[in-house]
Amino acid sequence: MSLRKILIEARLMLLGVVIFIWTLIPIYHLFVMSITPRVETFAGALWPSRPTLENYETVVKQGHYYLEHFWQQLWNSAFVAVMVCVITLVIASTATFAISRLRVRGGRLVSNMALATYLIPPAFLAIPMYKVMGVYGLLNTQWSLILTMVTFASPYAIWVLKQYADKLPYELDEAARIDGASPLQIFRLIYLPLMAPSLVAIGTYALLLAWNEYLYAFLLLSADKDITLAVALGHFLTTDDAPFNVLMATGAVYALPPAAIYYVFRRYMVSGLTAGAVKS
Amino acid sequence: MASVSVEAVRKRYGALEVVHGIDIAIPDGEFVVLVGPSGCGKSTLLRMIAGLEEISGGVVRIGERVVNEVPSKDRDIAMVFQNYALYPHMTVRENMGFSLKLRKADRGTIGERVKRASEILGLDTLLDRYPKQLSGGQRQRVAMGRAIVRNPQVFLFDEPLSNLDAKLRVQMRTEIKALHQQLKTTSIYVTHDQIEAMTMADRIVVMHDGIVEQIGTPLELYDRPANLFVAGFIGSPAINLIRGTLRRDAARSWVSTDAGIDLPLNGNIIGQDGQAVVYGIRPEHLSPSDSDGLPVTVGVVEPTGASTFVYADLSGAQICGVFSERHGFNPGGKMHLMPQLDRVHLFDSATGRRLSA
Amino acid sequence: MVAVIDVQAGEKAPGRLSQEAIWGLIFLVPYIVLFLTLVIYPVGYGLILGTNPKSYVRLWTDPVFTRTIVNTVVFLGVAVNIKLFLALLLSGFFAHEKRWIRWLSVIFILPWAIPSIPTILSFRWMLNAEWGMLNSLIFRLTLEDGPNWLLDRWSGLGMISLVHIWKYLPFWTLIMLAGRLAIPKDLYESADVDGASPLQKFFYVTFPSMRNLYITCTLLSTIMSLGDFNSIYLLTGGGPADSTQTLATLGIRYAFGMSEVEVGVTTVVVALPVMLPLLVLMLRRMRKGEQP
Repeated sequence: MSLRKILIEARLMLLGVVIFIWTLIPIYHLFVMSITPRVETFAGALWPSRPTLENYETVVKQGHYYLEHFWQQLWNSAFVAVMVCVITLVIASTATFAISRLRVRGGRLVSNMALATYLIPPAFLAIPMYKVMGVYGLLNTQWSLILTMVTFASPYAIWVLKQYADKLPYELDEAARIDGASPLQIFRLIYLPLMAPSLVAIGTYALLLAWNEYLYAFLLLSADKDITLAVALGHFLTTDDAPFNVLMATGAVYALPPAAIYYVFRRYMVSGLTAGAVKS
Repeated sequence: MASVSVEAVRKRYGALEVVHGIDIAIPDGEFVVLVGPSGCGKSTLLRMIAGLEEISGGVVRIGERVVNEVPSKDRDIAMVFQNYALYPHMTVRENMGFSLKLRKADRGTIGERVKRASEILGLDTLLDRYPKQLSGGQRQRVAMGRAIVRNPQVFLFDEPLSNLDAKLRVQMRTEIKALHQQLKTTSIYVTHDQIEAMTMADRIVVMHDGIVEQIGTPLELYDRPANLFVAGFIGSPAINLIRGTLRRDAARSWVSTDAGIDLPLNGNIIGQDGQAVVYGIRPEHLSPSDSDGLPVTVGVVEPTGASTFVYADLSGAQICGVFSERHGFNPGGKMHLMPQLDRVHLFDSATGRRLSA
Repeated sequence: MVAVIDVQAGEKAPGRLSQEAIWGLIFLVPYIVLFLTLVIYPVGYGLILGTNPKSYVRLWTDPVFTRTIVNTVVFLGVAVNIKLFLALLLSGFFAHEKRWIRWLSVIFILPWAIPSIPTILSFRWMLNAEWGMLNSLIFRLTLEDGPNWLLDRWSGLGMISLVHIWKYLPFWTLIMLAGRLAIPKDLYESADVDGASPLQKFFYVTFPSMRNLYITCTLLSTIMSLGDFNSIYLLTGGGPADSTQTLATLGIRYAFGMSEVEVGVTTVVVALPVMLPLLVLMLRRMRKGEQP
């Protein structure tokens, strides 16, 4: 290797180290705090003198006022996320099948409306959405959160799926029609299997979006037994003497499932989502 | 199996009409080729017969049944697509059995029919592969297998060979023809390649700009093209067409070109003295001669081995001849070309219609 | 006579729908219902709530509001531009085909993949002036107290931008990386043949190919960052003394903190004259190049 090549490699390495540290700082901090014993909470040390799992034990045993319903809330987060994932997939796959494959009249209008919805920042709709959920009588039920998250997940889902659906050769549908398939059979036997990779990507996207949501969960749910873990974490902020290391342990438990799911489906996510997010 | 009849069929997209009222009657068991340049409406017509395009006017019958409003799946037809349209997520076996599965046939029947079709096509060893693991020719065979398994009333082919390389195309051409001779299912085959049409068809329908120019057996179209378009479309290398004026006197008829050269005719023609005409003679119906016939200057000579193509100049008109002789053609040299008089085609230059009997 | 009847049968009966059209409508119904009940209705509801002139007077006379507008513009200007410029540079780094860089990219994506609540709260604690890890470290090294990171308007906004960039940089880097990998390799090869330096290659090959993507990303990221609620609410809560609010958090503060629902909605309506053109521009860009 020439000197020049070594220099280039060294520069890359240096940049890599910077990126590594930058990315992991808050995650490292979260982890360190979660294994710091309560007595050392305010020491601000880079590594606790006596690392401990007592905070995690508190979480698992629901051993703190803020964590009385930890398992219930973890289940709530999972339930909401899975429902949002399933409903978004149903709505987006049927809509894109109608628009892209059955070429239904007005399909272009619908996909334009979906795209416009995608460009509305969810935080801007918070107040009217809250009011409307009140009108529907869904406030303080998990369905209000589920439907809201489906509303925000499905436009992007439709946008991405439509781009993939448009790329499938139309002759496949024609061949299936001649082979005797009804539109429903084409959807089930041709469209869904061929779209499987992008459906996985979109399903993961919707799942993570719902699991990670804070604002709407915090607005639409209130009872301790109904709220998701995200809201429960936010409750720690309401007092000044919150047990921060227990909070960090809870946060670590809360962050683990989405990270794991992301890494399992990373192969689909990266190609699926980057292709759809922006077209130049 | 069934006959197919197309009666005054039209296709409009909004105000634009692309197929202008077509009549074709196809008897049971016939292999008909729709041929024409791209945009002539042949694929649209086929897709209307398949039920993939709405019929804007007229009637399509399969057997005795009017199928205008019948969905594709109930027309009892099978179609082979240009890009094969094999289901990528199914094996060859599943691809071929798909239509029977949709019709709720029992597994034994499906297996047996897939097996028989795969034996006919030599696909027996490929049944568990996926389409992406197959070569172009194999995919083409699977697409045909999918059609055969159905045992439909009619086979429809939409330019099925155009994605194959030249050598494979010739081979598949023969296979499809042999298959038809074996199964005798009524077939409608769309292509833009006139050689495919000539070699495969029982009858050819030549289409142009949304109308039928001529319907006939390959040799009828070759020997007696009904108009200039058909004459120019059928035959390779293309027919020589020379503009001129029809001259007649009591004894004989001939065509006088603008450059003042007289082209010989036999008497068997309709037409007035002084009428503007086009004189057509196929390259293979010219023979070299020492002094008789058309005086030309030899341009390019292309020996192919079996025959020799000679491109020559007839006072400004480009003329091609195909000869079995190999020698005696010198670029720049003078020679004479003698037309076989009974093979001359004469057309009205205004209407393009045939004037020879 | 049979023929005549047949020809009439051949003409398409008006008003009849094919099987495909019927199924198409059925398949569209779920989304259309969702759209009408949970997009159109709330948007309309919001627009009506935002028509009270008193709300506009209230906003105009509230010093928090004008400060919030300035904050929003500063936050967008700083966070979006730094984030996208870094993403463009880092996409070049991640385009290197090396095993360790691939591994690093897997780690690099973490901030985007995991929920923001724990990580932002982690930032919040780390930046705590009295007992946060950062100031403890500064104290140990310099024996002086570190700055009040989150208790000052400008450094608060700075930290908000930092957290925002930390969270969303991976996503935009991925997008830019996809754009960069789509540039045909032979362009670089012919630039090599022409003797271009790496910098020249960036300016004459990479940047022109990515300019369009970069502009689209800027527009989209501006719209999305405008709605970033978490980075502000969870880090500073808009404080101290409402000095770090942005439009995304201010509406919620009015509506749910102070029970002034109409004023809350009006803060969003006020942003529409800026939002709508951005939205239309973005729609056009995203629609372009898509098959009809």
